[in-house]
Amino acid sequence: MLNDVFFNVGYGHFLVLAGMLFVIGVAGVVVRRNALIMMMSIELMLNAANMTLLTFSRMWGNGSGHAFALIVIAVAAAEAAVGLAIVVAVFRGRRHIDVDRLNTLRS
Amino acid sequence: MSTFNVGDLGYMVPYLILAIAGMLVVMAEAFFKGSDRSALSGLTVVGALASTVSSIILVRQLGADERHVLLGGMLVADRMSYVLAAVFAATTAATALISPAHQREHGWQNGEYYGVMLLSASGMVMLAHASDLCTVFLGVETMSIGVYVMTGLRRRSKRGNEAALKYFLMGAFATGFLLYGTSNLLRMQSALASTSNPGLVVAGGFLLVIAFGFKVAAVPFHMWAPDAYEGAPSPVTAFMAAAVKAGAVAAMLRLFGTALGGDVLPFGTLGWASPLVVIAALTITFGNIAAVRQENLKRMLAYSSISHGGVLLVGLAALGLGSATADSAIVFYLIAYCVTTIGAFSVIIYVGSAKRERLLVEDWAGLAGRHPAAALAMTVCLLSLGGMPPTGGFFAKFYLFKAATEVYDGQLLWLVVIGVVNSAVSIYYYLRIVTAMYFREANEPFSPTRSTALVLVMGLCAALVLELGLMPGFWLRLVG
Repeated sequence: MLNDVFFNVGYGHFLVLAGMLFVIGVAGVVVRRNALIMMMSIELMLNAANMTLLTFSRMWGNGSGHAFALIVIAVAAAEAAVGLAIVVAVFRGRRHIDVDRLNTLRS
Repeated sequence: MSTFNVGDLGYMVPYLILAIAGMLVVMAEAFFKGSDRSALSGLTVVGALASTVSSIILVRQLGADERHVLLGGMLVADRMSYVLAAVFAATTAATALISPAHQREHGWQNGEYYGVMLLSASGMVMLAHASDLCTVFLGVETMSIGVYVMTGLRRRSKRGNEAALKYFLMGAFATGFLLYGTSNLLRMQSALASTSNPGLVVAGGFLLVIAFGFKVAAVPFHMWAPDAYEGAPSPVTAFMAAAVKAGAVAAMLRLFGTALGGDVLPFGTLGWASPLVVIAALTITFGNIAAVRQENLKRMLAYSSISHGGVLLVGLAALGLGSATADSAIVFYLIAYCVTTIGAFSVIIYVGSAKRERLLVEDWAGLAGRHPAAALAMTVCLLSLGGMPPTGGFFAKFYLFKAATEVYDGQLLWLVVIGVVNSAVSIYYYLRIVTAMYFREANEPFSPTRSTALVLVMGLCAALVLELGLMPGFWLRLVG
């Protein structure tokens, strides 16, 4: 048992690690109120998905998961570029990026 | 696994036109001198209309049951995909027509807006064709990233920034769910029914429901929508409410309706239908109740669009559970909803001016006396949103609920009852605007935004809403 958990590293280990990364990412988005930290947590979620994709790709022995992961990396870069631009614009107007203090729009 | 075939590109013409036109407009903007951007708007309208026409031609060429698999199974081309593509492209053209007037009036002459809009529309068309989880992801992202940019384009406006940041964070969060759900679904890639460990697969299905819940602004994942709708410039709000919502629904149509639908998957092996019906019921009800309390027109339409999203979810659940007519009912609903929403927002843009945006209900008092045509167009659109008989909205709701009753064993009957009761409730807040326009005195003169294109879209949408209601047969035959 101990041997399985610690030494015979298999697919399961990667899936569990990915699951943990995903949960950490979700918790980060929910708990933290700084827009930049929230973006970092979202990146963590995407990387958890990447790790799962690669694990399954390896498991089924085909390359489509690898291609998917590369596409995800490219798209995440595009998304981060747009997101950072928005964060900069918000910071210029208010000198902070705390999402709880963004309340010009009535809610 | 087939390989790339040059003939496949012929089936992708509507997509290619939008994508190439988008890139051309972005290039043209960079080299364009002067501050009047109506030429860019014209180019956008031409591109979007060309895409619409090519989709309609392709719809007419394909047989009812004809399906073409493109690019080694990444995309699929059938009638449904081209009808949806035509809806997206036409909505984009209408948005491009109503934008220049708003840009001139409110002083945000960003030309890149048009290019980004076309690229975003190309993402929606990709969703209409999607037959692989990878293309669903790419389409959703192409669509969403463009709309984040459009929402935040007025960089100096604090409200615009705030709306963009909230929209972006929630959208990106949803992307995380979408991707992780997708990656877990790959577990079932080889043996769908016989997976010995469906745990990850069920988790994947649930995560996809959450992700698309964010994208179509379903309760409880809707909190970004009212803020984003209110803070974005009105043409962008129109685009978000009509095209983006339709794009997300198209993706769900492909994913839950076709790929994950059937006899076993929705309730049994995958179990995505149970959370989806609960979310649909919550969305319809909560969206309506919240809309009743709104004084701001854009916020009211935001909650109304949330509620319409809930009705569409009913249709999607029905499709997944095997209702034969649900797919054409959803597409008809999307057509009626897009036309109505664009019409309503073009009247909002027309009535508002730089000095007074006139977004509160009392600002609309007495509009009928001063500008009867605008008031009439708004009334037609609002009645259609509320689902009153002579309009397209009524038939859309009627067909969709009828399709939901056809599900085996009447599993969705309770949802239909909730939906019908809520349509009755929704008429209350739509009629509030109508009574303000017709039965109250104007306290100051209106100074509407003058623009021929805007008036054209307004009239066209109002006429189409009535046409959809009076002759729904033509449209229903078109979609199946």
